[in-house]
Amino acid sequence: MSSRYRVPDNLYYTKEHEWARSLDGTVVVGVTDYAAKTLNDVVYVSLPSVGQNIQQSISFGTIESIKAVSELYSPFSGTILQVNSELSSRPELVNKSPYEEGWIIEIKPVNIEKEKQVLLDSKQYLELLGSLAGR
Amino acid sequence: MAEFAGYDMPLWYTSIIEEHLAVRNNTGIFDVSHMGRITVKGREAGALTEALVPTRSSSQPVGRSFYTLLLNSRGGIVDDLIIIKKAEDDYLFVVNAANKTKDLEQMERLSRQYNVLLDDITDTTTMIAIQGPAASLALQDFTAQRLTEIKRFNHVLSKIGGSSATITRTGYTGEDGFEIILYDSGIENNALAMSVWNDLANKTRPCGLGARDSLRIEAGLPLYGSDIDDSTNPIEADLSWVISREKTGYVGGEVLANLLNIQPRKLRRGVLLQDKIPRHGFSVNNEVGENIGHVTSGTYSPILKKGIALVYVNTPYSTIGQPVRVVVRDAEVGAVIIKPPFYDVKSYGWKREVATSIPSSPQ
Repeated sequence: MSSRYRVPDNLYYTKEHEWARSLDGTVVVGVTDYAAKTLNDVVYVSLPSVGQNIQQSISFGTIESIKAVSELYSPFSGTILQVNSELSSRPELVNKSPYEEGWIIEIKPVNIEKEKQVLLDSKQYLELLGSLAGR
Repeated sequence: MAEFAGYDMPLWYTSIIEEHLAVRNNTGIFDVSHMGRITVKGREAGALTEALVPTRSSSQPVGRSFYTLLLNSRGGIVDDLIIIKKAEDDYLFVVNAANKTKDLEQMERLSRQYNVLLDDITDTTTMIAIQGPAASLALQDFTAQRLTEIKRFNHVLSKIGGSSATITRTGYTGEDGFEIILYDSGIENNALAMSVWNDLANKTRPCGLGARDSLRIEAGLPLYGSDIDDSTNPIEADLSWVISREKTGYVGGEVLANLLNIQPRKLRRGVLLQDKIPRHGFSVNNEVGENIGHVTSGTYSPILKKGIALVYVNTPYSTIGQPVRVVVRDAEVGAVIIKPPFYDVKSYGWKREVATSIPSSPQ
C-alpha cells in the first residue's frame, strides 16, 4: 500500500501516531510524519523532565500547532533519559524531520518485550493510515 | 478540509505560518464565498438600514463600506457585518455564513414596514479576499480600475477578469487589501471565478481558515460565535465605536442607550502570554489566583512568536499593562492585558508607516 506519508520500517508505531526506535537498550520516541502533517506547523512541544517515569499509553506531554493541541502517548513504559531540548526553540523540527531531528524523548524501557506486542509495525501502521484516509 | 457553516473549506493549503506571514509581508488570497451577501434595494433601503444598525448609515457617503452590528432587542449582538453602500437606494450586507438565516429573518421582519426588496445573492456571486501590503500590486493586473484610488473602507463597481465586480478595500486580517464580489460567477457557473482564483493563486499565496483565524486574532478582530454572540453587547465587546451618539430608533437602541451610561461588568481585551498557547475557554486569573475572566479566542502569533488571546476580563482588570495569569491545563502562565492589534502598527497592518514594495511573485 502506498502512502503520501513516510513510514520507515523497523520502527514501532502507536495508534495515536507516535513512533519508537529501539537501539542498544534505549528507545527514542517521536511523532509520525502523518501526525506532523496533520497538525500542520508545530509551534510548541511541552516536554517531561529527565528522570521522570512514564507509562505505556499514558500522556507524557503535549504537542501544539496553531490550530490544535494533542497529547503525546508513550509507546513504552520507562525512565526519561533525554529530552530534545532543541524543540523549545525550534519546534518546527517536528515538521521538517519527524523521524530524525524532530525526535522528542529518549527512554530506558522497563518492559519492552511485553509492551511491543501491542504496538504496530510499519505495515500495520500503513494500513491504519489507509483506513483513516478512507473516512 | 473542514466543514464550516455548510461549506467545505481548507484549514491550510501548505502551512498556516507561511500563509500568515505571506499576508503580513506580501499578499495572500482567501476564498470567502461562504460569507452571506444580501442586497437591500429600494426607495427606503436607507431607512431600513437605519432601523437595523446602531451606526448612522445615512451619514455614511455612497461608496463607503462600513463595519457595524445587527442587535437583538436586549442589545445583544445578532451578527457583525460590513455594509457596502452602493447607492442611496442600494445596499449590500456582507454577513457571517452561520448567521445568514437569522439575519435574513430579522431583516425581513422589519422590511415589511418599508418599500424595499431583499435578495440573498450569496449563491449567484463569488467573493475573494486579497490581503497584504502588496495586495494592490497583485490585483491590479485583473482590472482597469486604479486600485490605489480606492480609499480604505471604500468600494467601487468595476470589472475583474471580465466579470462585473464590487471591489471593496476591506478585510479581516488587519492588513491593506481588497475583497472582491464577482457578480457574473456563482455556484452554478463558477468557471470565471475559478479562472480569477487560479490566476491570483499563481501570483500570490492561497490561504486557508487557519491563517484567516490567526491573522484576525493578531489584528484583534472578533469572530462571531467565539468572541461575540447574542448574549454579548457592543460595549463589553469593545465595539462601542460603531454606535452613533444620539442615534435612536433601531433594534436594541433603547437598551444600548442605558448601557452606554453605566460601566460594563466585563470588557474584551487582548492578552499576551509569556509562554504556551491559550485556547478558547481557558480561565484568566488575577495574581492571587482568583478567576477574573476567560479566553474566547487563542492562538500562536507567528509575528510575536508568543501565545496571544482575545479575552473577557472583569472591568477592574481591563487596564492596558495589567498583569494577569492564564490557566493552561492546570498551570498558571504569566500574561499581560493589551489593546489589540498585537503587532507593532508601525511595521504591520494597513496603517503601517513604511509601505513594503515586495514584488508580487510566488515565494
